[in-house]
Amino acid sequence: MSHTVLVCDDAIFMRTMIGDILTQAGFSIVGEAETGREAVEKYKQLKPDLVTMDIVMPDMGGIEAVREICKTDPDAKILMCSAMGQQALVVEAVQAGAKDFVVKPFQPSRVLEAVQRILG
Amino acid sequence: MMDRSRYAALFLSESREHLNLCNQLLLEWERDPKASEPVTGIFRAMHTLKGMAGAMGFTNLTELAHRTETLLDILRSAPGASIEFHDLLFRVVDALEAGVSQAVAGGDEQLDFRALLAELDDVSNSSPATGSWAVDTRARVEEPVGPEPGRVVRVAIRSDAPMRGARALIALRRAESLGRVTAVRPAPAGFEHEEFDGRFSFRLESESADHAVVEAIGSVGDVASVSFGEEAASTSAGATSAATGRSRQIRVDLARLDSLMNQVGELVVAKGRLAELITADGSPELQAVSARIGRVVGEMQTEVIQARMTPVWQVFDRFPRVVRDLSRQLGKRIAFQVEGEEIELDRALLDEIGDPLLHLLRNAVDHGIEPPTERKQQGKPPEGRIVLSASRDRSAVAIQVSDDGRGIDRARILAKAIKEGVVDKGTASLTDDQLLRVLARPGFSTATNVTDVSGRGVGMDAVVSRLRGLGGSLQFESTVGQGTTFTLRIPSTLAILRALLARVGSERYAVPLASVAETVEYVSSAVVSLHGKEALVLRDLVIPTVHLRERVGAEGARPPGRPPTLILEVGGQRAALVVDALVGQQEVVVEAFDGPSGMLPIFSGATILGDGEPVLILDPAALV
Repeated sequence: MSHTVLVCDDAIFMRTMIGDILTQAGFSIVGEAETGREAVEKYKQLKPDLVTMDIVMPDMGGIEAVREICKTDPDAKILMCSAMGQQALVVEAVQAGAKDFVVKPFQPSRVLEAVQRILG
Repeated sequence: MMDRSRYAALFLSESREHLNLCNQLLLEWERDPKASEPVTGIFRAMHTLKGMAGAMGFTNLTELAHRTETLLDILRSAPGASIEFHDLLFRVVDALEAGVSQAVAGGDEQLDFRALLAELDDVSNSSPATGSWAVDTRARVEEPVGPEPGRVVRVAIRSDAPMRGARALIALRRAESLGRVTAVRPAPAGFEHEEFDGRFSFRLESESADHAVVEAIGSVGDVASVSFGEEAASTSAGATSAATGRSRQIRVDLARLDSLMNQVGELVVAKGRLAELITADGSPELQAVSARIGRVVGEMQTEVIQARMTPVWQVFDRFPRVVRDLSRQLGKRIAFQVEGEEIELDRALLDEIGDPLLHLLRNAVDHGIEPPTERKQQGKPPEGRIVLSASRDRSAVAIQVSDDGRGIDRARILAKAIKEGVVDKGTASLTDDQLLRVLARPGFSTATNVTDVSGRGVGMDAVVSRLRGLGGSLQFESTVGQGTTFTLRIPSTLAILRALLARVGSERYAVPLASVAETVEYVSSAVVSLHGKEALVLRDLVIPTVHLRERVGAEGARPPGRPPTLILEVGGQRAALVVDALVGQQEVVVEAFDGPSGMLPIFSGATILGDGEPVLILDPAALV
């Protein structure tokens, strides 16, 4: 059975791109979220195997969403999607419980490597 | 946007990188069977390959990589693998190399690795099951607590990894999952500083075995090395990071660079034409704009040329394996050394020199280096030595293949050359250049017994003609009993050439400026006869003349006056090229050139001038 993924990003473009990369690698995208709040709600509802999380989102940012999700599920497998120069935020996200990160622009191979690492 | 072919290309190139690395590490391992870094490196490469192949949905490839990885895991805990393992692993890498291409072409399902898998199983079963794929938990159960409660673990994040600090933190988190982590240096708070170089250490109190720790931390990605103790870090980091950290590049399809290069080439031509028109009748403003365009185009050209530069290791990397396989096959013992791997060449040239170098190396292994017994008889060490080195030589790159073998036996070649009617019967000796030409003739081989490795007599000829086409040259030095050095000289960039334009009859020809030592006037008083051939006396030099009119069969009368003469110099050889007139100097863009058969072998390419007229580029090496 393929792994389920929740894709969180406020840009449709990025969601499509990540979705494509993961779908083509055999993952199944079970949900998308445009805001941090939506991400937390959908996580509880869908219990996906993996979450990809943008850092900067309206209505609760990605880091806060990671914190909220990890409160209910410390084992949540969350992959942060960050842009160059956001290292401090990524560090914060990892401290909040994110398991790995990828840096935009995405190289599919790196995204998949990170996902493989998380799902181990 | 993200189609499958793009993935396929990425998968292919990365897999090849990893497999190449495997080859190198296998060689390293073979030299030093007790070393643990190569095994870990191969293990990691297999793991990555497995992951990538899995992501691509190539089940057969994934299976082979996975089973190899499992075996390597066992071997890691039982080091000192026998030579059969190495051979098996070399064959696995070969199979994966072929398999990767086939899988990308849609043939993963047809891949049949059953024989190899069975062999891997045999080895796995005959080895003590001290390791396992799931090292982590097992190690905890089976291995006793080490004598020391804590170890200092040193981790280096790859220098080209994005956000090394964040990656380091993840590695630290992973370590914490293995046991108690203390004394982290530098403090994690400093990880997010830009100056953090990705190296850190900590004390780990854990029951996990060393290899389990290495694997766990290595698995967080972008980890160049994991080592133990206070000092070990630098050595182990050197081994892996040198291999993985030297490619701080983005991947660009070569076709794109080619296209960009062509576009810039046309821009250069158009720029030249524009400048000509404006000089003829242009306002000062126009001239200023044209000059500015000229500068920008010039810079663009430099940038594109730079972007195409590729370090030679990309081609050299496969040679250690080739030399090893060949020498084993031929029963020779050879230490192979590579120098100057970082020297850069235009990508297109790099692709072209692979085959010539392979020929030279094969020749060195097959004909150069003697079998161990013969070497001993001659008082040489039984292990022969072949050095492949690259170095910069002004605007060219010199690549040398030298061996300490038997050298080229001039007498034997002369005898053979006379017998085959290549040189006159009375010839007493061959000059180096003659020798090379003789060696380079199709069908001329001095191998006493033709092996399937070389000796079919096409090699040297292929080398020389390939090089000429690239504007390069090949020279050699050889001492009987001591060895041979071939020096291959090629321009480091291919596409744009500074050329002198000369006219003969109604045609113009481009002569690469790099080969023109000077220009003089052809004065009949300076002309002498040298061995029945015409030559020009210039200061204390006597230089053979070449009348381009005669060579190209130009029609019409020569213009009156003293014809200009170009003194060509290539690798110490000279010729005086007599032309009708000099037209000027300019940069020309070399176009791919496939001369029709029967064409004079004195041209190396063609170009299109600013006025849209094509001209041929003379090959100075063919004239001297």
